[in-house]
Amino acid sequence: MSLTKITNIDALELEDGVQNAAFQEDEDRPHSEPAIVSFTGQEEVAYTQIKPYAGMPKEVLMLYSKQARYRVPREILFWLIIVCTLVLIGVTIAIVALSPRCLSWWQVSPVYQVYPRSFKDSNADGVGDLKGIKEKLSHFDYLNIKAIWISPFYKSPMRDFGYDVEDFRQIDPLFGTMQDFDDLLASMHDKGLKLIMDYIPNHTSDEHIWFQLSRNGTEPYKDYYIWVNCTEDKPPNNWVSVFGNSTWEYDETRKQCYFHQFLKEQPDLNFRNPLVIQEMTDIIHFWLQKGVDGFRMDAVKHMLEAKHLRNEPQVDPDQDPSTVDTEFELFHDYTYSQLGLHEILTNWRVEMDIYSREPGRHRFMVIESYDYEEIEKTMRYYGTSYATESDFPFNFYLLDLPDALSGNRAKELVDVWMKNMPEGKWPNWVVGNHDKPRIATSAGREYVRAINMMLLTLPGTPTTYYGEEIGMVNVNVSVIQDPFGKFNPNNSRDPQRTPMQWSDKINAGFSDNETGTWLDIAPDYDTVNVEAQQADSNSIISQYRTLSLLRGAELALSRGWFCYVRSDTNVFAYLREMDGKQNAFLVVLNFGEDTETDLLSVSELPDVLTVHLSTTPINQKTFSKSRIPTSKGQGLLLQYSTNKRFHSNHASECYVSEKACYFPALDILYKC
Amino acid sequence: MDGEKKKTATNNGSIKGVVEAKKQGQPKAAALQKNVGLLSSICLIVGTMIGSGIFISPKSVLEGTGAVGPSLCVWAACGVLATLGALCYAELGTMITKSGGEYPYLMEGFGPVLAYLYSWTTVIVLKPSSFAIIALSCAEYASTPFYPGCTPPQVITKCLAAACILIITVVNCLSVKLAYRVQNFFTAAKLLIIVIIVVSGIVLLAQGNTQNFKDSFTGASTSFGTIGLAFYNGLWAYDGWNQLNFITEELKNPYRNLPLAIIIGIPLVTVCYILVNIAYFTVMTPVELLQSPAVAVTFGDRVLYPLSWVVPLFVVFSTFGAANGSCFTAGRLTYVAGREGHMVRILSYISVKRYTPAPALMFNGILSIIYTIPADINTLINYFSFAQWVFYGLTCAALIVMRFTRKKLHRPVKIPIIIPVVVVIVSCYLVLAPIIDKPEIEYLYCTVFIVGGLLLYVPLIHFKFNWIRHITIMTEVPPLMNTPRCSPRGRLTRQGRLRQGHE
Repeated sequence: MSLTKITNIDALELEDGVQNAAFQEDEDRPHSEPAIVSFTGQEEVAYTQIKPYAGMPKEVLMLYSKQARYRVPREILFWLIIVCTLVLIGVTIAIVALSPRCLSWWQVSPVYQVYPRSFKDSNADGVGDLKGIKEKLSHFDYLNIKAIWISPFYKSPMRDFGYDVEDFRQIDPLFGTMQDFDDLLASMHDKGLKLIMDYIPNHTSDEHIWFQLSRNGTEPYKDYYIWVNCTEDKPPNNWVSVFGNSTWEYDETRKQCYFHQFLKEQPDLNFRNPLVIQEMTDIIHFWLQKGVDGFRMDAVKHMLEAKHLRNEPQVDPDQDPSTVDTEFELFHDYTYSQLGLHEILTNWRVEMDIYSREPGRHRFMVIESYDYEEIEKTMRYYGTSYATESDFPFNFYLLDLPDALSGNRAKELVDVWMKNMPEGKWPNWVVGNHDKPRIATSAGREYVRAINMMLLTLPGTPTTYYGEEIGMVNVNVSVIQDPFGKFNPNNSRDPQRTPMQWSDKINAGFSDNETGTWLDIAPDYDTVNVEAQQADSNSIISQYRTLSLLRGAELALSRGWFCYVRSDTNVFAYLREMDGKQNAFLVVLNFGEDTETDLLSVSELPDVLTVHLSTTPINQKTFSKSRIPTSKGQGLLLQYSTNKRFHSNHASECYVSEKACYFPALDILYKC
Repeated sequence: MDGEKKKTATNNGSIKGVVEAKKQGQPKAAALQKNVGLLSSICLIVGTMIGSGIFISPKSVLEGTGAVGPSLCVWAACGVLATLGALCYAELGTMITKSGGEYPYLMEGFGPVLAYLYSWTTVIVLKPSSFAIIALSCAEYASTPFYPGCTPPQVITKCLAAACILIITVVNCLSVKLAYRVQNFFTAAKLLIIVIIVVSGIVLLAQGNTQNFKDSFTGASTSFGTIGLAFYNGLWAYDGWNQLNFITEELKNPYRNLPLAIIIGIPLVTVCYILVNIAYFTVMTPVELLQSPAVAVTFGDRVLYPLSWVVPLFVVFSTFGAANGSCFTAGRLTYVAGREGHMVRILSYISVKRYTPAPALMFNGILSIIYTIPADINTLINYFSFAQWVFYGLTCAALIVMRFTRKKLHRPVKIPIIIPVVVVIVSCYLVLAPIIDKPEIEYLYCTVFIVGGLLLYVPLIHFKFNWIRHITIMTEVPPLMNTPRCSPRGRLTRQGRLRQGHE
């Protein structure tokens, strides 16, 4: 406020309107002669002589407010505010309309498989249980994992360790009670964790009440299983079970053969019987109502069999039919992936969708089906354009990586999935589970870190089998527990099922039982355990955690483009980038011997790449793109910043599930 | 003394002036008009109290109490407490018929400094920030349905919240009538959704969904601290019971309508809240309720499918209505603070044509928009909520004080002295409990900020701004010269005269 501007009126204003003679006059006049007060010309003249001031009466104010220099800005400001409001609403609507679908919980987080027998024992009986899992939930927080798949814990006689279910609505006492389950589920949900249950539709235990009633011919259970007339020594056909020998078992009570694709204690349910489908659907409802977040559907390809019961063709036609007793000696044209299977699964999907309406409560469905070279059969579980099915079928192809470990092999196996997957679907990666040897053993310990890095930087959902985060290996157990292993010790699955190694205390911190655990603890537990590795910032678990956190934080890794850059006998290199984001990642994985990679020909890469994470300690902080050295089993996560996008020039080398671009100014994603 | 005389003279004239002006169809002095009836008063109370609280808070209350039974008891107790508080306010409101909520009562009871601190904290922080928060939660509810399973981008909620604030401010600036229509419409909307929830709850109860009410007291929490927290969260859903006192001057027949609106409005809300909670428990176990991010939406998803979208829609309506109510009263408070010279004078000016405290509303709106910008404003604002209870407590203490210092004041509603005593004790507890439970440095910052307002006391009152008159003309708001400042000497006379004017 400059002094020169102060006029008489200004001075008056400073003294407050109360003592302002002019104001008083104006104020008094209408009271004494109210009838005169109006906007007459005479008055206007009177007022025009007064400059505006604080405390002026209404008439003066109105006079000035009509002037263009007040009116115009007023109008402009008013309409500006209106326009501003409309623009804000418009921007919001535009952003909402342009936003791509957001990732669901099963896409955001890796899936962690817990084998409940071996995860954590809370009651010192040598076998893991549900309370034990609850005790260790902080482990998932640490790893930034939100989706937990727990292998079966239904009431079971444990012939196949839970995959032979006696009662789908009860918890096996070995693992705890239904109360324990409810507590576990509640505390998981409290921590924002999702629980995926194993669901075993193909068969039940022979001790299941349905089978007991079916066996003695009680209606309506009579046809719950597949019964065929036969004699004790002559099965109806040449079909063999997954665990070896004939799929047919003669039953003394019913004087008929029942069908079993796995153990003879696991009779197959008859899914041609609508009552069976109804019963199994009710079980899905039972658990969904309890709040379970998803199902891993076990062995679905075995659910239906051809009704004609013809012999299956032999792989080797010249083989003596009487010696055919293993799965791989027959083509399973009549027992695997039969017509009608997808209708059943689609109907279950519909049932699960009923429970998925609440936002953030999508009920997840993942299919287990090993189809080997018939990958199109696996891909069919993604559903079709007219019917949704599973969210994804497990991708088991990386399990073959150790067969001929090399950079080329890795690329080839990754590409098997990427090129066969229907467009717009979500990939996933599995390198181990309770049925397959641990990757650390089959590929070699030195490659574990690189494999974990690959798992967590590939597009899609990684699945981690318990222990992979610390590099657990197969253990030669002293007593075989696995029934499959009892049939043939080479097939024993015990080595990959040994107890989780938590610390260097008794039983690796898994159990307080002094007489041992159900399977032997790995001898290396004093060094390979969660506690010791958490203390070491270069350990496998620390690197897993870093990558898992990065995967959650970086859009390029969670939903960006995936492009092959290079593969040779030693190295598999790919990049992850996002339109609109300068920051991108180059992953260089060494699945062979020490080597140096030259990526000079990749013009989209900047010359200098910064090391974000190296699985082996290195001193260099940056690399020139023409010389990227990697040692045997090393994984390198390189970060770079550029505006050039690789995918726009190499469409055939790149994949993305759903295109999205980043708009940095507003920190939003939009469809593009 | 000459000035004093003139002031009261003009004051007297002002009210007559308004009345005469109305008769002549030619308004003379700009003042807020008396056009808020009983229905609108109840709507304002119900409309502001039922914000988003009842759709979210049940979770925190259950968390604190641990079981269904005590949780329902806490809801009822919160209702009783709000009623008690409101009764104190009814006495104060009918005794001192001035707009501005606690402000005039603190002024009468404790003098200008405390009143100034109240207006400072409320005008600068509490009111605009609560407006901002309600607008943000409105925006959040409006945008989440479009982002199933994840949180909407920040920019969307911020844009929508800003738009919401702008719309409400413009509506309130344009017309008091329009603002009331908006308020009444959205109050009707929120009552409708409450009715929908309650009715479907009763239907479910009739169908036998009573398993969650068996043994409803087992597992109840006995810790003093957690129950206090439950009360805090419950009372948050009841916040707004003092709204009517902000607009006393605009009430038609305040002596009848103010207490009546309180006695009808708050128990109505209490009953609604309890019934809604019962409805929630018919479809959700306590565990499920605790894990639901927004209880009402989960209820809708489970019960009202395929019409479950109505719940988020009506919650948006409800929060929008609450935002409108908050803006409405905030404008009045700022206006009164300006009038009493505790804020820049321009804030007390009233639009000539529209009879709305436009500058105050704009000031509040601008501050609110600023408060929506920072990312974690919610957490900081939460620390200020203890200040809210300090002032509730002080106001009721003022009531007690005035029973002794201002015995002669006419009290059309006189409540038993025990009621304010209870409210004072409870508010002491509510202020101290969270601080003792979790002492944090932020509380100190808040206190420093509040007391720091004193530094501006002198400049705010004595400094004049030249540019103000240009704004005055542009927005067509002449100063309200004919309503005097509430100076310690003048106030009683003014009260007396005001009453004479009515009688």
